[in-house]
Amino acid sequence: MTPVSQDFAPPLKLIAPFFDFGVLFYLLSMLALLFFEPTFSYQQMDVAGWVHLFLLGFVMMIIFGAMAQLIPVVLEVGHVVVDVYYIILPLLALGTVVMVLGFWLMPALLPYGGLLVLIAMIIFAFENIATLKKTELRTLTVDTVAWSNGYLLLGILTGFALALGLSGDLGINVSLMLKAHVYAVLGGYVILTIMGLSLTLIPMFSLAHGFDETAVKRAFKLVILSVALVFVGAVLGFEWLMMIGYALSFAGIFFYIWQIYIIAKLTVRKELDVWAKSIIFAFVTLLLSILFSIVYFITEQETALHTSVWFLLLGFVTFFIIGHLYKIVPFLVWFERFAPLVGKEKVPMLHEMYNKEGAAMMFWFTSAGVLLGGAGLLFESGILFKAAGSFLFTGAVFLYITMKKMLAYGE
Amino acid sequence: MCNITKETTFEAISTVIDPEVGFNLVEMGLIYDAIVDEACNVHVVMTLSTQGCPLHQMIKQWVGEAVEKLEGVGSVDVEVVWEPAWNISMADKNVKKALGGM
Repeated sequence: MTPVSQDFAPPLKLIAPFFDFGVLFYLLSMLALLFFEPTFSYQQMDVAGWVHLFLLGFVMMIIFGAMAQLIPVVLEVGHVVVDVYYIILPLLALGTVVMVLGFWLMPALLPYGGLLVLIAMIIFAFENIATLKKTELRTLTVDTVAWSNGYLLLGILTGFALALGLSGDLGINVSLMLKAHVYAVLGGYVILTIMGLSLTLIPMFSLAHGFDETAVKRAFKLVILSVALVFVGAVLGFEWLMMIGYALSFAGIFFYIWQIYIIAKLTVRKELDVWAKSIIFAFVTLLLSILFSIVYFITEQETALHTSVWFLLLGFVTFFIIGHLYKIVPFLVWFERFAPLVGKEKVPMLHEMYNKEGAAMMFWFTSAGVLLGGAGLLFESGILFKAAGSFLFTGAVFLYITMKKMLAYGE
Repeated sequence: MCNITKETTFEAISTVIDPEVGFNLVEMGLIYDAIVDEACNVHVVMTLSTQGCPLHQMIKQWVGEAVEKLEGVGSVDVEVVWEPAWNISMADKNVKKALGGM
């Protein structure tokens, strides 16, 4: 028996601001995208600023809010100190703003912003690790949460070293440290976390049951190992070790996609709501990302690498997160405001709690923007990239409005 | 003399709706059994569509409260089991049709 969750569930007022701020940062990052060109280098400070606005302000903010709710569901124990999330939010939000300003305007600000983010993430990671110690469960998902938090710590420490290096306070090889940082945070934390969440959330919302988990177990092991190899290879300067790591991560992602295919075949719920469309689009763009990364390894064309990263971040990661927002946020609001009324008066269904037209507009504008942006980067076309920025910004406005309405539902 | 039966218990539980899918627990096939003894004590055996369901405790409570509304009921006990695991074939035809499973 699994007595889970609402005994341990954090209050809406603690979690909702993470989604509120996350979506606001997403809107800002799509606005900022309008001022970028499709030709760039990863070491440009303005590009690094945008990437941090998007990854810290949107991706991390939403993942942290979601984990506040989902950690008790996955681990079947309550948080050790759930109130730390009240501290994490302002530290992460302020740290992101200061870091982005540091990248865009004043590099001297970088260590200060980096320190705020570092403190926020250390609190998050240690609270998660302390909660992990409480659970008696020893499932693969639990192990993955442990590994991903370990990589998060490595990622933020290398990130802080980079911030000191860029501001001139520390003598490091910025290029190699950047690879270690990107792989630890993006592969070790974001992708591993999304893989773990997929295994809980996708079957839950699609009502898929009784599937074999061998593929995802292999995927977890391969991705965990690949991140370790790339990280060590980057820190020690062993290019060959990094190449083995890259190859293993391809294999890991292949097994992950295979697992999702197995789950999709057993899906009972065929309704194509905004969640289902977003998840389908997320995996289509993940396939595109893999395709262009293979093209990059064969041709060494930088544009193929840019396109691959674009589809990974703006396609897969973004749509996975946004799609789930339309499931998780109505649930949180319903749980707080309507669950106590069950049996006493008529309560809304979850799907009635968001504006379907607004969500559809969000989906179509954002997906068109992602595809146009990929084409813009591939062909280095300024017109296509600007069109993509406009579509993405419009989609972000629809996301922001629908999110605000969801959070205010039944107030 | 106890007037409560398995059927009346199921009828009472059919007022409990899963807010995610919009169907009641009985037509979803989530209620496996309702055992009523001579003293009108009711033991409900049910499952959930997913083990990680964040509404686990709350749904259990709603089922208990729905049965407690039956006139003359004694104690009510709700047991959640995972074997046999729920699957769509346990749901009513209208649920399968609405979810697109047939």
